[in-house]
Amino acid sequence: SLLIPPLSPPVDLQSHSSASSFPHLEAKIRQTHSLARLLTSYAEQLLQEYVQHQGDPFGLPSFSPPGLPVPGLNSPAPTRSGLPTLERLQLDAAALNSLSPLLDTICHLQADLNPFACRLLRRLEDASHQSRALGSAVEVVLGVLGAAPGPPGPHPILPESPGVFLVKLLGYRVCGLYHEWVCCTEGDLDQLMQEGLG
Amino acid sequence: MEAYFYSRLLSKTGGNKRMSSSKFQWLSSIIFLYLVNQAHGQSRGVPHDLNCITHNLKVWDCSWEALPTINHGTYEICVINSSYPCIRTEKTHFEIPALTFADHEIKINSIHVSGNSVIKFILNERNVSLVPATLQDFNLTADFSTSTLYLKWNDNGSVFPSHSSVIWEIIVQYKEKMEVATVATLNTTLIGKDSVHHWNWTSDIPLECTPHYVKIRYYIDELHFFGQKEWSEWSPLRNISGPPVKENYEVFPRDKVVPVGSNMTFCCVVGEPVLSAQFGKESYSFIRLDRRSVAIKINNITVSPSSGTNVVFTTKSNLYGTVVFAGYPPDIPRKLNCETRDLKEITCSWNAGRPTGFFGPRGTNYILYERFSGRNVTYGRAEEHMNAIHQLIFQMITGQEIYNFTLEANNPLGRSEAVILVNITQRVCPHTPSKLIAKDINSTAIFLYWHLSGNFANINLLCEIEINATYSGQELRNITVRGLETSSYHVYMDKLMPYTMYTFRVRCSSENFWKWSKWSNEKHYLTTEGIPSKGPDIWREWRADGKSVIIYWKPLSLNEANGKILSYNVSYWSEEKTRYLSEIPDSQHKAEIKLDKNDDSDYIISVVAKNSAGSSPPSKITSMEIPNEDIKVEQIVGIGNGILFHWNYDPNMTCDYVIKWCNSTRSEPCLTDWKKFPANSTGALVEYDNFRSGTRYNFFLYGCKNQKYQLLRSILGYTEELAPSVAPNFTVEDTSSDSILVKWEDIPVEDLRGFLRGYLFYFEKGEKGTSKIQGLESGRSDVKVKNITDITQKTLRIVDLQGKTGYHLLLQAYTGGGIGPGKSMYVVTKENSEGLIIAILIPVAVAIFVGVVTSILCYRKREWIKETFYPDIPNPENSKALQFHKSICEGSSTLKTLEMNPCTPNNVEVVETRSVAPKIEEDTEIKSPVTDGPEEGSDAEPENHVVVSYCPPIIEEEIANAGGEEAGSSSQVIYIDIQSMYQPQAKPEEELENHLVGGAGYKPQMHLPVTSTIENIITADDLEKTAGYRPQTNVNAWNLDSPDSPRSIDSNSEIASFGSPCSINSRQFLIPPKDEESPKSSNGGWSFTNFFQNKPND
Repeated sequence: SLLIPPLSPPVDLQSHSSASSFPHLEAKIRQTHSLARLLTSYAEQLLQEYVQHQGDPFGLPSFSPPGLPVPGLNSPAPTRSGLPTLERLQLDAAALNSLSPLLDTICHLQADLNPFACRLLRRLEDASHQSRALGSAVEVVLGVLGAAPGPPGPHPILPESPGVFLVKLLGYRVCGLYHEWVCCTEGDLDQLMQEGLG
Repeated sequence: MEAYFYSRLLSKTGGNKRMSSSKFQWLSSIIFLYLVNQAHGQSRGVPHDLNCITHNLKVWDCSWEALPTINHGTYEICVINSSYPCIRTEKTHFEIPALTFADHEIKINSIHVSGNSVIKFILNERNVSLVPATLQDFNLTADFSTSTLYLKWNDNGSVFPSHSSVIWEIIVQYKEKMEVATVATLNTTLIGKDSVHHWNWTSDIPLECTPHYVKIRYYIDELHFFGQKEWSEWSPLRNISGPPVKENYEVFPRDKVVPVGSNMTFCCVVGEPVLSAQFGKESYSFIRLDRRSVAIKINNITVSPSSGTNVVFTTKSNLYGTVVFAGYPPDIPRKLNCETRDLKEITCSWNAGRPTGFFGPRGTNYILYERFSGRNVTYGRAEEHMNAIHQLIFQMITGQEIYNFTLEANNPLGRSEAVILVNITQRVCPHTPSKLIAKDINSTAIFLYWHLSGNFANINLLCEIEINATYSGQELRNITVRGLETSSYHVYMDKLMPYTMYTFRVRCSSENFWKWSKWSNEKHYLTTEGIPSKGPDIWREWRADGKSVIIYWKPLSLNEANGKILSYNVSYWSEEKTRYLSEIPDSQHKAEIKLDKNDDSDYIISVVAKNSAGSSPPSKITSMEIPNEDIKVEQIVGIGNGILFHWNYDPNMTCDYVIKWCNSTRSEPCLTDWKKFPANSTGALVEYDNFRSGTRYNFFLYGCKNQKYQLLRSILGYTEELAPSVAPNFTVEDTSSDSILVKWEDIPVEDLRGFLRGYLFYFEKGEKGTSKIQGLESGRSDVKVKNITDITQKTLRIVDLQGKTGYHLLLQAYTGGGIGPGKSMYVVTKENSEGLIIAILIPVAVAIFVGVVTSILCYRKREWIKETFYPDIPNPENSKALQFHKSICEGSSTLKTLEMNPCTPNNVEVVETRSVAPKIEEDTEIKSPVTDGPEEGSDAEPENHVVVSYCPPIIEEEIANAGGEEAGSSSQVIYIDIQSMYQPQAKPEEELENHLVGGAGYKPQMHLPVTSTIENIITADDLEKTAGYRPQTNVNAWNLDSPDSPRSIDSNSEIASFGSPCSINSRQFLIPPKDEESPKSSNGGWSFTNFFQNKPND
């Protein structure tokens, strides 16, 4: 659903890079796309690992809580499909950069709740690093393409002393957002490759 | 009460005079006055129903009833005979200080426009009610985290006399319907001053879920107050409503930690309808608390997972939840132990016991508290593992040896503790010694150093040193050293072996042993060399030619060599001279000395081993032996790994005994090894790694007298006997018709592999290549075996064999170790010529003899033979028998030849053979047509025995004429059973004679066919056969076939038999029948050699 055909004009990569740097740009985009695809699968695994440690009904198939608002970070908007690819990538990079501290926070909260869930904690920690890495990689691509990274969004704020249940819900929400944004990034990079390299 | 006042009033006004009136008058007066007063007062608006209460026992508050008409008037209240001033008031009540316990007259003067009226009351404390003041001021607070209400109030005790008992009653109500949650009663005692009282109560419903209301009243039980005591009024209702419901906090209680097994109520406060409630994975039906709140009640909560148990309420648009953590309070710490490694810090360790089920912030915290010093250390967030060891480190306090530790464990559900009192100097388990160093002093002593950190200056250390040497095993030495402050320690290690690789390691404890430290790392150290402790073990052997002697020595063992042997010095001397051989390197362990054995000089040969530290003591041996002529070679078999020798104790043997041995198959000089045994020994077990089973060794036992050896015994021996490895090689030296001579050779010693015990010789008759002798099946009777136990025997003759017969031979040797393989051979014995000749001659001689005898007998019996076989045949032309037919019919009496009464066949026996098989025992009688039944005497088998009555009319007449006695008897033709004819006839000749005597003579047989009866029976062919003369020598009638031959009993032969020689006087066949039962000759397999078959095989 994230790979909606672009309504905006395609990106001309040739015009954004010199002949000598084009292979480098192409490689960078492919590399970033591969990273996004890899992180998409990691994000799915993280979400599965997360719900396993939160107790029922988190692990039940029917569990579908309403999207908890996270100040400063939203789900990818459906209307973003109308935006140019580069703008979408700017949003992706901003969201990924915002997700990194959120994942850190969730990791710390889970360390209290599940101190022996080593794999979950490791995945959360890795996801924080990987989110930041992917955001930076997208920013690099944007820089090469001449599109300045978007302004940093407001730092997400989690409620103070939210209660354990809300902590679990927030973690679920953050992991879900991470998955959504990584998927979006992968789709947008795929779009970029189709437009510019294909 | 008013009546009481009046009664008091009247009693006052009436004075004592009335008291003496009759009771009736007194009572009547009271009633009357009361009624008058009532009527008067009410009619005029005077006070009535005076009522007094007190809230504090100090002031009485009295009030009365009055008509409204006087409401605007004024009252003057005076206590009669009291110092209290009168009170003027417009109200209908007044307050006066508490009066003494007596009747007091109260006068109330109502002053109004219409006039004054006075009324008096008698007031006593008994008429006053104690009603405590309503508790207005109390403090109600709540702890929402624990759903606990806290109530605090002042008892106003300063107002009341002390020691008054107070009963407090508190009611808590909740929910929309104001259900009574609890009713509590408290008893307190007033202490004469204000006291604050507390009461708390935990609701089963979180306080946030629904408002909780509280009210309180009390009752003072003052013993010295004689009035009526009543409960105070209820205090105003106070309520606790939950804190403002924030977003996302709709489910209560939040993050509660409860013990396992608790019952809990969870509520959800939301403005929208709740659709479902879930605890963990279980759904629950909820109960409505009020219009905004629903709850579920969970009983007996089980232990939660690490992240807690989720409680979730679902509405149409959202999901609300909380988490509960159910677990256990901390278990009492188990196996609390405190010890020190360095006397600087104390390590206390323990086992947490039962897991609490809590982790992270809810996990168990531990505090180690030392009572004497008042110091403590903490340990937080203990990880929960069953039997996990936790530990805390407590810094020691200078000068303090006794420590009283209390370990407290706490978590949100409770706390527990364990206590231990230790003298830390007795709980020393030092660190692992390190930096182990060895320094040599001499070849048998070293200094061993190690480092041990810790403040052990005030104690002694007990250290254990483990010494391992390759060849001497393990040794432990314990030493006590004075403790130092983090220093190196060293110890003198003696009694070591020179030039030995040692492995040292150390562990320590305090002198007051508590625990050993861990072993230090191993230290390998090689001690320096020392001089060899003894000379090498030597022996000497003379060359066979006696021209030189070889001196052998064994390398010194490591603990004897005390270093690396560099060389050996060999010297020899006699009384005359001393010689030295050049230095012999270590690799060589023998030396040859040119000496002449025939020389009478006896030399002493000395060998000395040298290493870098010096030379060993010399080992000496004389060159000559003490002769011993009386030597016998013995045999001995070992016990597997060695050979046990015994000898008698000989006091003359002053040095030692030596057993030397060699492989018997080796060439000279015979010396493989030797061993020496003490002079007082009487036996020895000689073990040698290179002893091989099945190998013959020569052992020589020497005794030593005055440093000279004498050979005592020579012994051949095996450590273990084996079966021979090869078969004895044998050949056939000679064969005859009945014997074989075999000869074999000795088996070489190396192949014999044991002491030869004998041979087994097997032989078996049979064709070549068919022998089963190799299998040597036990119990085979056809395999003969000879056990040859005389091992000197080298030949064997096998006799009683059959000539020209093949034999399989097999020869095996056996030892104490078993039977060896066999060598087999196939031999054919020679032909027996004498037997052949005998076999030919004997039958020939017998044949000749039989022929001669037969000839003689035939000659002597020639007449009989002629008479029997070749009788004279009369000329039929001259015979009157030709007139037989006619003469008979004419009844001529001149025909003498026909006077054959005895031969008159009045009974014809017909032999009837119905089958081809020669069953001829049965007589068959041809019945005459005139014969009615079977003849008597033939009833044995009447159905087969047909008797034919035959009575030729002519003969019948003749017979009738011939003898009246036989006239009655029927004339019959009897067919004689030929077999019966051949029944044993004891006296054939006599029978013949009897026939002759009985009128027998030649009886021509041709008379029979002329009978008409016969004609009817016999076919035309038969007639031809039977007609005319039948010479009795007719070969067809009695040829070579026996009478019972099928031919003779053929159906056609009935008539033929009729014409057989039976018709003559004799019924006997001269040629005996073939006897089937007679033994058949086995001529098929017969040969001349069969003459020898009757001999047994052997």
